Amino acid sequence: MNELIIGAVTGIIFGFCMQKAQVIRYDRQLGALRFQDMTIVKFMLTTILVAMVGIYFLFDLGFVKLSIKPLILGGNVLGGLIFGIGWGIVGYCPATAMGALGEGRYDAAFGLAGMILGAGIYAEFYPLLKGTVLTWGNFGKVTLPTALGINHWLVIVILGIAFVLLFRWFEKNGL
Amino acid sequence: MNVLREKTWSPYVAGVLAGLLLVLSVFLTGKYFGASTTFVRAAGFVEQAVAPDKVAGMEYFIKEKVKVDWQFMFVVGVLFGALVSSWLSREKRAVPVPRMWEERFGPYRSRRWIAAFLGGIVVMFGARLADG
Repeated sequence: MNELIIGAVTGIIFGFCMQKAQVIRYDRQLGALRFQDMTIVKFMLTTILVAMVGIYFLFDLGFVKLSIKPLILGGNVLGGLIFGIGWGIVGYCPATAMGALGEGRYDAAFGLAGMILGAGIYAEFYPLLKGTVLTWGNFGKVTLPTALGINHWLVIVILGIAFVLLFRWFEKNGL
Repeated sequence: MNVLREKTWSPYVAGVLAGLLLVLSVFLTGKYFGASTTFVRAAGFVEQAVAPDKVAGMEYFIKEKVKVDWQFMFVVGVLFGALVSSWLSREKRAVPVPRMWEERFGPYRSRRWIAAFLGGIVVMFGARLADG
């Protein structure tokens, strides 16, 4: 099968899972931002938990490569803050906006149009940002295990326990 | 398959399935999930229609390459996956204004749509700056 078909099939299954978990709804996304409903956090952290165990297992066996993004504090922190403001207003992140449109929430179409424009605006600013913000606090491609100098399974176990405790706390408090 | 017609799955169950899907994707094709680069490419396609020379000379479009690739199809697939899922479970269709928004800002469509558009601009600028 070619790469494009595999991409489409993967997206369809992922979109199906997100719709069933109700994480592509504005109300769920804003619910998390308002600490009222942690459905999307449960979905995301469970996905991360399963994927980090599976991918590091395959990595240890030499079957897969990791895809590590650089840690650039200027870009990550400023970008994260700007992302958060936008997310709180539009109520969808990029992939969930596509899913929301798919299940008939057509306010997402306006969000998607804005996102395409936002990407175009970023492209205009990129040469300026590249020489400034994106040079601030550049630590290169680091991960928690490499930065801490410990085995990745130790990090995975600690995160796994933290996630499960968080899930228990969510359930106990009806979040 | 009744389970596919259910209105909702536990987020933990759906999260495990999504996690397994990601592991399988990385194992079989080396692809990690992402979405926001696709919006850069979509912007590139739109601008190409009006000013192809400008796009060809822009550093960011050269860096991210304006093309339909695995991720582009993944993002399009998400729309159809959600459509099929909601169709199978007969969810209410066509929601112009989210309930939580309406409770706070009223039922006015234009107000919600303008906010969604402006929020979309901001969210994507931030996503690209954070390289997420």
